[in-house]
Amino acid sequence: MNLYDMIVKKIKDIQGADDGPVTNLSTTSMLTAEITLIASVLVALIMLRQVSTVLMIVAVLVVLVVFLTSMPIMSRLKKEQNDSLSSMMFYVIIAMTVVIALFYWGNLNV
Amino acid sequence: MNLLIPLMVIVPILCALFLNLLHKKDRAIKTVTIILALALPALPLLANYGLHYFGGYEPLLQNPTLANNLPSFITGGALATFHPAITYSFQSAQQLFVFILGLVGLLALFTSVYETRRPSGVYAYMLFMGVAAMTAIILTDDIFNLYVFFEIAALATVGIVLVSNIKGNYETALKYMILGSVASPLLLLGIALLLGVTGNVNVTDIIYSIKTGAVDPQNPVLLLACGLIVFGWLYGSGLPPFHTIKSAIYSKALPSGSAMIQAFSVFTFIALGIIILRIFSYLPFSQWVILGVSLLAMILGITMAILQTDIKRMIGFLAVGELGYIGIGLGLGTTFGITAGLFQAVNEVIITALLFIGFGVVVYQTGISNTRKLGGLMVRNPWVALLVLLGGFAMAGVPPLNAFQSKLMLIQASIDAGFPELGIIMILLSIVTFMTFMKAFHTVYLRPKPADLEIKTETIPKATVISLVVLLVVCIIFGLFPQYVTSYLQPLATSLAGGVV
Repeated sequence: MNLYDMIVKKIKDIQGADDGPVTNLSTTSMLTAEITLIASVLVALIMLRQVSTVLMIVAVLVVLVVFLTSMPIMSRLKKEQNDSLSSMMFYVIIAMTVVIALFYWGNLNV
Repeated sequence: MNLLIPLMVIVPILCALFLNLLHKKDRAIKTVTIILALALPALPLLANYGLHYFGGYEPLLQNPTLANNLPSFITGGALATFHPAITYSFQSAQQLFVFILGLVGLLALFTSVYETRRPSGVYAYMLFMGVAAMTAIILTDDIFNLYVFFEIAALATVGIVLVSNIKGNYETALKYMILGSVASPLLLLGIALLLGVTGNVNVTDIIYSIKTGAVDPQNPVLLLACGLIVFGWLYGSGLPPFHTIKSAIYSKALPSGSAMIQAFSVFTFIALGIIILRIFSYLPFSQWVILGVSLLAMILGITMAILQTDIKRMIGFLAVGELGYIGIGLGLGTTFGITAGLFQAVNEVIITALLFIGFGVVVYQTGISNTRKLGGLMVRNPWVALLVLLGGFAMAGVPPLNAFQSKLMLIQASIDAGFPELGIIMILLSIVTFMTFMKAFHTVYLRPKPADLEIKTETIPKATVISLVVLLVVCIIFGLFPQYVTSYLQPLATSLAGGVV
């Protein structure tokens, strides 16, 4: 199954019957978002060279493998970023933990 | 003329209260709203630069008359430099921000009174209160005062959504309030910890305490306060993880309301971002956190925008993505980068307002914002379509419009700062923004009209078209003469980059 078919199948899985048919437009949008996401994250990871070149190479390779093995990612990401209060609250708590940990322990121990 | 500085906050509050009293008097509201709204962009143009002290007096160092009657242990120490009053600072950057906020406020109010059959005093009240709160947030040098107006702006936002009468608005407003009830107290806790450690809420005094060694810069409580304030910043400006609720809020407001709410988000982003930079720029993590969050906002906002079938939601996500560009400028920390980021903020406020009001015409005429059900509207509104198209070009950074200049500056700044990767990502995401916009434009205006699409209102209010033209003219002027805008922003950027504020 090629990537296009996988994306069509994923969109069908995610959206309910009420959301209308899967069109060329929705599939190409998903494909564009997928490529944009992967390209942007990989380019952003190159910035890790400022910290360590080895860390940058390892991070790029690991993330590339993760992306390739778990494509399509955008459909999952869209599913996660819904309007449900529980999921929003979950990510709010995760973000708070990350921010506090970064500032508190990050600055004291790095 | 420094009396005009407090009036920039007081006048919108008085306008809000007055219009609320006129509720149900439709004609009076329409006329009075337009007359009062003219004061919003006029006041910052008339006011002189300077400081204003609310509820107190200037620092003893600047007031020898008062200092002469006090003992030397007060006048000779750090106490003499502290600001006992709530200080409002009005310089060139603040003038530009308050002017742009006032202009968008004026056009939003102008559009709203003509697009609504029965103009509501309550709705105008919310818009005016929001403008007052944001003006105070831009001007104040007192972090607790900022928090108070931050809360007023959040309540005004919820109010704007509640009175919109759009399906699902109550639920979205409630969710926003619940999330706010988690994030806002944490921001307040951060401010309280800052007060506990430094003994001050005035930002200049806090910086003085840290720089002179009166407070240990690595004090764990100070670091925790920084984390909490950053978290409040994420909520106030709609950065991840609050981007989903923020885009939902945009989509559940009237077009004029969405235009105002996005302006609130951008100016909150700028005001709190500047405070974080001023107080905590000595922490190695602050630059990386600002850059990381901004990158995440750009990537998530723009990739999510392309998947949307609701035009208002799409612009909402694009607005979140555009916030990332501003953050990159601030996070780079160089004078050029910060200037570019602030310029991008000004541009984003104007362009997003143009797009919300422009696509709002579609919703006004059809009552539909789902692109699957729209089409063929170019035949009916070719001029509005052209204005919206140019607005979309501006957002994507097409020359010679304003965002082209600011995005080009941002890319140059990122290369100069040693982060060419950021430049590559910004170019890539600008291309995707263009594609996202063209997809929406095609589905709404260019493809054949669906047979079941009903046009409920044929005529478009002239006020809406005038607002779109004014916003587009500003986009073109700022695009052709960027140096005029950046000359207003450069002093603030220089002081932030040099760490001397």
